[in-house]
Amino acid sequence: MESSAQARLAVLSRQFAPVAEGVQSLSLQTCSAGDSAAYERRNTADDDVVIVASLRTPLTKAKRGGLRDTDAADLLSTLFKAVLERTGVEPQAIGDIVIGSVLGPSSQRANECRIASFFAGIPDVVPVRTVNRQCSSGLQAIADVAAAIKAGFYTVGLAGGVETMSSNPMAWEGGINPRVSEFPDAASCMLPMGVTSENVAAKYGVDRKTQDEFAVRSHKKAAAARAAGKFKDEIVPVATKLVDPKTGAETKVTISEDDGIRASTTMETLGALKAVFKKNGTTTAGNSSQVTDGAAVALMMTRAEAVRRGLPILGVFRSFAAVGVDPAIMGVGPAVAIPAAVARAGLTLDDIDVFEINEAFASQAFYSITKLGLDEAKVNPNGGAIALGHPLGATGARCTATLLHEMRRRGRAARFGVVSMCIGSGMGAAAVYEVGGETDPLSTARAVEGPQQLLSKDAVV
Amino acid sequence: MGRCRTAFNAYSVKFSPFFEGRIAVATAQNFGIIGNGKQHVFEMTPAGGMLEVAQYDTADGLYDCAWSEANENVLVAASGDGSIKVYDTALPPHANPVRGFKEHRHECCSLAWNTGKRDLFLSSSWDDTVKLWSLNAPASLRTFAGHTYCVYHVAWNPQQPEVFLSASGDTTVRVWDLRQPAPTLVLPAHAYEVLAADWCKYNDCLLATGSVDKTIKLWDVRAPGREMAVLAGHSYAVRRVLFSPHAGNLLMSCSYDMTVKLWDTASPQAAQGLPLRSWDHHSEFAVGIDFSSLREGLVASAGWDESVWVWDQRGFPSP
Repeated sequence: MESSAQARLAVLSRQFAPVAEGVQSLSLQTCSAGDSAAYERRNTADDDVVIVASLRTPLTKAKRGGLRDTDAADLLSTLFKAVLERTGVEPQAIGDIVIGSVLGPSSQRANECRIASFFAGIPDVVPVRTVNRQCSSGLQAIADVAAAIKAGFYTVGLAGGVETMSSNPMAWEGGINPRVSEFPDAASCMLPMGVTSENVAAKYGVDRKTQDEFAVRSHKKAAAARAAGKFKDEIVPVATKLVDPKTGAETKVTISEDDGIRASTTMETLGALKAVFKKNGTTTAGNSSQVTDGAAVALMMTRAEAVRRGLPILGVFRSFAAVGVDPAIMGVGPAVAIPAAVARAGLTLDDIDVFEINEAFASQAFYSITKLGLDEAKVNPNGGAIALGHPLGATGARCTATLLHEMRRRGRAARFGVVSMCIGSGMGAAAVYEVGGETDPLSTARAVEGPQQLLSKDAVV
Repeated sequence: MGRCRTAFNAYSVKFSPFFEGRIAVATAQNFGIIGNGKQHVFEMTPAGGMLEVAQYDTADGLYDCAWSEANENVLVAASGDGSIKVYDTALPPHANPVRGFKEHRHECCSLAWNTGKRDLFLSSSWDDTVKLWSLNAPASLRTFAGHTYCVYHVAWNPQQPEVFLSASGDTTVRVWDLRQPAPTLVLPAHAYEVLAADWCKYNDCLLATGSVDKTIKLWDVRAPGREMAVLAGHSYAVRRVLFSPHAGNLLMSCSYDMTVKLWDTASPQAAQGLPLRSWDHHSEFAVGIDFSSLREGLVASAGWDESVWVWDQRGFPSP
């Protein structure tokens, strides 16, 4: 509607172009390639780090969902295979695989990731490592690969994240160092995440009603997005098994849908839930992120390499910031990390068109959005972790996949996007992506039919 | 004689070829930029007023209308959404529009009904094409592509029923023949957009063009290298030019300078930019004009000031 009115205005206003009297065949016009020109100039450098594929598994509830009996190696190898098949990149071209993972036992999980690369047919010449910055691990993995590509360590990198919370619940093994009690910040690191959510809710006045309303919106948006088929491009179905807990019998299944979305969530159903972290508190299971299994990956390379291979560029990695905050209110992380990352990209918050802010808890997500004065319509347009789930190590890469695919759907309406999350033990992380700017594939050049009579004999046709 | 107000900004006025006092007015809301449209049919009363006979609402603005030469009650309207609506004033309002043709991919801005082959009419559009239609056919009979920008106007040659011209923003006027695949003449008429063109009714080789460069040029298609005359009297783009059906040298033009001018193309004053008459009754762009073919001397004009005036060309429009 808008653009056709503008198109009509443009056609009409051309009829008022100044006509130079007497000089009929020349027209003098001021140069229109100013800052507000229709032709938009962008910085597209060959050494930009670009993402050419960004995929995820479905996200299913831990212990009850379809991926509850799926190994981390199987989750990852499904995605590795899908990425390599869809891009046609030969596996030995990958310079490093960096996977974010939080709860899996450190060395074992790193080994599982290496095993996953073998399952996917990646040769042993490609190294693998894991990274753990708690909930931001998936995003940190992407940032690490981007940094390594920029540093020239390699040209093609595979980043991602995985979490199998069905097999690896949150737990603390062994004793707690007694000196922890002497340092308030250290003691705060031992707080359960839900308690930090109650702290944020109390300190910043985010009441139960606001949190529940936020949760309802998250489910609604996710349900609408799934119904509209918006997750189809980013989800890779996982062929796996379900094991009967009593008999041990295995059933082969293919999981292709997220199972945490509850379109029927209402204020009434959420209102019935009890606060679990604090007496008369506000944080419930309904307005917190779900405990989830899932994985996500992103294939990254330099722009020059992507162009050479003829791969579509889903997005450009522009900046990253990891910041520290008070562990007792770790949920405020995005409110500090987002401005830092946006400033490092040379932008302002107004320049960002879409945000994917992890909804660890409605309290901290709502706080971060209002603290930064963001337009809620720009945040988590396809729902967030309250509806979809928060597989800790995968979330950063999962949000990246959802963000980049959403921005691609929006076309020219979305140029910059942000992924951000709070991090247990008092941190926040955020990254800025840019989408678009590549040459428009539309070409108006037409092949000339018939014998060439207008070009000189030595012209190359 | 008389004038009437329209609800929206008027874009085009056409006299009915069957009823002496009947005019059709195509209008568009918000100057045709955005909003709805309305097709009016007015009847002039002997007392000098204008009675509204019919009114049809459309979703998008209407940029032109044309009366059928075969049926006294049928008219067609060109819409900003690219469609052409067919109306029959003999049918009740709820039966209208009788049908619609939706093929143009951009705004449809001009319609012309063939006076010889009375089942054919043309439409031109901002999608750079001209289409040939018949009410008997479900889709366009032919599409004429060749222009590289909006085609602002089409007009049938009054003596040659298979020949027509099209005026375009690509600064050319093309003469087409239904019997030929390509234009028979591509006339680079002006250095700026050509908004209007019309054939002389008494010399089938003569045509006039009106342009954004504020001039009207007369051309002979037999010697297209050079214009016959240049009438430079308007101070803004010339929106429409029309040759009189009663006198071979009478030409009327309307312009964004809010005036309607009557020219004697044979007179030496015209070449100096002096028209026979210059009427400035409009307070906004004057965008529609027509000669009555049934009553000599009767002319009408329509403008963005939501007014339609009918008067005698020897006099002045009176409120």
